Parts: sequence; structure tokens; C-alpha cells
Amino acid sequence: MLYDLRRADVRIKWLVTGLLATLGLSYVFGAVMVALYAGFTPRSVAATYAGPEMSMPMPPETTVAVQRPVAMADFAQPEVHTVDTKLLIQDTHVHVPMYGLIAAALGVVVAGLSLPRRWALGLIVLLFAAPWLDFAGMWLTKLASPRFAIVTLAGGWAMGLAYVIVAALAVHQMWLSRERG
Amino acid sequence: MNLLMRAAVIAALFHITPVVVLVKRPDAVQTLLPGADAYVAREVHLSAKDAHRLHEAVDWSPEDGVLVFYGGTAGATSVGALEFVRVDTPHGPIEVAVGFTPQGAVRGVVVTKATVEMKPWVLEAVAAGLTDHYRGLRSGGEAPAAAAAITSRAGNLAAYVAREVDKGVARALAAYGAFYNHVRT
Repeated sequence: MLYDLRRADVRIKWLVTGLLATLGLSYVFGAVMVALYAGFTPRSVAATYAGPEMSMPMPPETTVAVQRPVAMADFAQPEVHTVDTKLLIQDTHVHVPMYGLIAAALGVVVAGLSLPRRWALGLIVLLFAAPWLDFAGMWLTKLASPRFAIVTLAGGWAMGLAYVIVAALAVHQMWLSRERG
Repeated sequence: MNLLMRAAVIAALFHITPVVVLVKRPDAVQTLLPGADAYVAREVHLSAKDAHRLHEAVDWSPEDGVLVFYGGTAGATSVGALEFVRVDTPHGPIEVAVGFTPQGAVRGVVVTKATVEMKPWVLEAVAAGLTDHYRGLRSGGEAPAAAAAITSRAGNLAAYVAREVDKGVARALAAYGAFYNHVRT
């Protein structure tokens, strides 16, 4: 194969290394952001995406008011960060193209790795399947059942796992392998 | 490749950053309902007709069709009411707390939440005196136009976010005027 990262020009190796380092940095901060705003448990993810919309209340025949006392402590309760349908549409619209580009960039790195064809294909499928799982889980959590939060978590972990595998193999083959050029 | 680069730039430009708390709700409550020692939440469940009317008036539908007003009292005396209103923008949501005097005039406005991206714009707008311009407004009266009042002292992005705050105040005024005192419990 003409494109082999082990024997690639040093400029290509540095380009791939820079790409992996930059994506790694963004993944680390992505994980921190998830920890801050959605959490890593099915319950917290469900609370973020399912929200009160699951109840779908019907409007009353005539407008009615209900009054109840509240304490100052009620205002201070920590609020769960929620993503409603409008925001999820926006998030899907802006994140999915970027995820596609990241998967494509990592897929190009995979194509330059010395791997059995099946393993390479499996990795490329994993790179693209992970964001699909991530957003499918968010939408299913919102529209079908909070139980689908686990799909979003699986997608997130799959994204991280795919990146780690690609980065580890690429760094090893480009800079550490005995067969490198 | 050019297309990919453009897509990346567009995605980066329109990326929605997370929401951060600018002013904690208890602090906003104390500012907008000064001296209150007891509070009630008045949840107004809108009929389809009233929800449509509100939407027509201010291009807004409250979440789940429920308006929530918080009333404050000091002893037996009403201190006023306040409402938290969310405004969705292309840069993510902001939340505006609008406080009313017992006579129904705007006592004050506090921007309680914004996205990380919009936070500096909000702070600049507030520093330019944005929220001072809402005091005394009444439902059915002059429309909120604080954004126009600060344009000479604030940048374009601060003026942009100020227009979104104007929308939030307009929504609070419309909701308060139509439903706070006119719906039986």
C-alpha cells in the first residue's frame, strides 16, 4: 500500500501527531464538559435529555392558576442542566457535521496504519458508529424512554475508545515500531 | 477539502456552549423582591387559546404552557412579583429575571443565565447600563428598548444580546399583564 504511516515522510507523521494531540485535548475537555453538564451515569444523562417533556401535559380548557408557598431554599436548589427539543435540534445540527469530520480524519489515519483489513474496517465503523449512538441515545431518551440514556453513554465511551485505539496504534507505528521508515 | 474546511468553520461558529449561572436565583430574588420574608409560586396553566394569544403577542410559549410567577411578602404586605423568562437565541439560551412592584411596574431586571459564549456580551451590556432602562415599564405601555439606549456605549455583540434581553422583558411584561392578577386560583 502506498499510504503507510510507518514509512511516511516525517512531515506527514508530524501532521498526524499534531492532529491526534489536538483531538486528544478536545476529547479531554469534552469529557470534563460532559461531567459538568450531563454526568456519566444513565440517571444524570436521562435527567439532562428526557426532561419534563416526557409528561406531555394537555392544556386545560380554561387558564387556571395554582399557588403554593416556596422557601428561599427552593430557589437555591441546584438546577439540572436540561436540553430541550429545540436545543437538541441545534446541538444535533452543529455537532454531527463536526463529529463526521473528526471520524473522517481519524479514519484517514486508520487507512495509513498497518492493520489487517478487517480490523481497519472495524475501527472505521466504530469511529462513525460512536457519534451515531451518542445522538441516537439523546433523541431516544427524549422521545421514547429515559432508559435509552445508556445508548448515549455507550456512544460517548465508544468515541473515547476509538480515539485511544487509533492514537495508540498511530503513535506506536509512526514513532516506536522497528519497521518504521 | 475546501468544503470540509467551510463545514468545520461553520460548525465552530455555530457551536452552542454550555449555560452558566451569572447571578444565582436566590440573589436575584433578594434583589427583585427586597425585604420579602415569604414567597409563593403562582403557576398559571395556560389554555390553548391563551397560550396562542401570548404567542401571537410576543412570539413566545412558556415551557409546558405554564407561566410561573413568584410573589413576595413582608409580613402581610406584598413586595411584588417576579418571573424568570428564558430566551432562546442562535447562541444558546439566556434567562432573564424580571421583578415587578405591587403596582405592576418593573422594579428591576437581572440576567441570571447565559451561555459561556454570551457571558462577556451580557456583562458588557449590563456594565453599559442595560438593566437600568427597564425600570418603571408597565404592561401595555412602552415596549422595552434598552438595547437601543446602550448602543453608543457598548459593542455590537453586547447590543445584540441586549436585544435578546429586551425580548425577555417584553415576554415577562406581556405574561404579567395578562395573567398574573387575572386568573383565579
